[in-house]
Amino acid sequence: MTTMTATLTSSDFAEAVRQFLFHEAKLQDEHRYDEWETLWAAEDTLYWVPIREDADPMREVSYIYDNRARLSSRVRQLNTGLRHAQAPQSKLRRLISNIEIRDEGGEIAVESNFILIESRRVHMTLWGGRTKHRLVREGDSFRIKAKTVLLVNSEEPIGNLAFLV
Amino acid sequence: MASAAQQHEAIDYRHLVQDGRLHGSLYTSDAIYADEMEKIYHRGWAFVAHDSEIPNPGDFVTRKVGTQSLIALRDKGGECRVFYNRCPHRASALCHTASGNKPRISCPYHGWTFALDGRLIGVPDEEAYPAAFNRADAGLQPVARMDSYGGFLFLNLVPNGISLKDHLGHATDLIDGLLGLSPTGKIRLPAGWMKHKLRSNWKMVVENQVDGYHAHMVHGSLIKANRTFATVRDRKPTSPTRVVDYGKGHTDIDHPSDYRAAGDRLFRWTGGIDPDRLPNYVNAMTEAYGAEDGRRRLIEGPPHSMLFPNLSLAEMNIMVIEPESPSSSVQYTTPVFLDGADELNARTLRRCEGAMGPAGFLIADDAEIGELTQMGVANLEPEWVILSRGMETEEIRENGVRTAGLMDETSQRGFWRHYREVMSA
Repeated sequence: MTTMTATLTSSDFAEAVRQFLFHEAKLQDEHRYDEWETLWAAEDTLYWVPIREDADPMREVSYIYDNRARLSSRVRQLNTGLRHAQAPQSKLRRLISNIEIRDEGGEIAVESNFILIESRRVHMTLWGGRTKHRLVREGDSFRIKAKTVLLVNSEEPIGNLAFLV
Repeated sequence: MASAAQQHEAIDYRHLVQDGRLHGSLYTSDAIYADEMEKIYHRGWAFVAHDSEIPNPGDFVTRKVGTQSLIALRDKGGECRVFYNRCPHRASALCHTASGNKPRISCPYHGWTFALDGRLIGVPDEEAYPAAFNRADAGLQPVARMDSYGGFLFLNLVPNGISLKDHLGHATDLIDGLLGLSPTGKIRLPAGWMKHKLRSNWKMVVENQVDGYHAHMVHGSLIKANRTFATVRDRKPTSPTRVVDYGKGHTDIDHPSDYRAAGDRLFRWTGGIDPDRLPNYVNAMTEAYGAEDGRRRLIEGPPHSMLFPNLSLAEMNIMVIEPESPSSSVQYTTPVFLDGADELNARTLRRCEGAMGPAGFLIADDAEIGELTQMGVANLEPEWVILSRGMETEEIRENGVRTAGLMDETSQRGFWRHYREVMSA
């Protein structure tokens, strides 16, 4: 683990990572699917929502385990406008906090907590969890190589999760 | 026990469930829901667990059947047992995680301890109990009856009534069809369960599982976005696929006839994997069943069935429906791993995630339609739900099995015919 030093550079870097997470959150909240997809690296990516902490995804089922092709497929399905589970779209707003950033040279490991409010018809649903991003630098921004979302209630029955978490 | 007043106002299921229509209250009434828990889930056979979920001594899973919380476990002798999740002493729930392994079961309240076969083996300060106190009378309470078929454990909470074999009837063919895709004739369910909260009555989930009429509407987004993944079959009314009412509430969408008619290509049911990528599995099937029969199995694929009341053999997934209230349910889904087919199992796991569960490309949309249906049926008018599609063109085979076209509502009527019989008893 590389210790963050309190230089101006590292502070700028950390702020850039935080802004990236906030930008991603906004795209998800606003159902800007194509723009969200462009945040991902072009290949070898993983979007993972496990059913429990420490699950082995090669042996255990996950709620989402999208490689790059399936991620695109997910976005394409949402873009049809015919995905009943998101027609109408949920009204979403999420808070991202407790952000920890570890620069590993090639990749940047980021962990954060989220609280997400979903409003759909008469139902208001509270979602929350811990997100782990693995980012790579691209120009003056980043691309997502991997994103794992561990819901706090992943082991309990959950409602439709057809929006982008 | 029902009071005299309740018996006087017995619900008339023969009126509510008619051959081509259903009364909307069947999906909304608290009284009907309570009656179903008793007559279908407590007095009838229901699926509780698969023995491969508890492979080793001490392995347990907690499950709900009807209104009852149960522990299914494997004891030290290797036998599967199902107990009520309740301490015989002062009633605390004993197991409160979904699964785990314990050498014995201890109550968190006063420390009474039970062997895995249910015997009471430890009581702190036991000498303070009266002389007549007998450990043998205070063991874990097993369910009245448990039986299994193909590793699927079913239970029945009353001691008398039909056997599991009688309950399953022709549905054993469906289970055999799934097991027969393994060169050893065995399946395993080790991958854990997706748990999906549904805002719909459990019977809507049952009906939808064997509904061949909704695919283009409900799954249009997937068919448009990803035809390959949608396992696009001939979904037209002229499809050779039949819906089948096997009797006793067990129903099926017979996709194997579609795959047979589509030619002799293997693995259409997997989304069209090239057999060259599964050489060990193909060879093992040939060795186990011979070239011709092994090939037939790999052409036809798994059943798409709903076994009354709560177990769906959903092609390469097992789906279990747990009623929660008249207007909510939980759907559990896990991929089917075939013994002797590791090459395929890895793909089955990924396909399960793609299609099923709360984020699945298919099932999230089914859940949404279920919710809309529940919202709609809460309206008092029109009183009836129409379920007559294909009623006059059904074929009835010699053994009583009914079939009709893919989009006909014969499968739903088969469920309801049995429901009416059970609920009127």
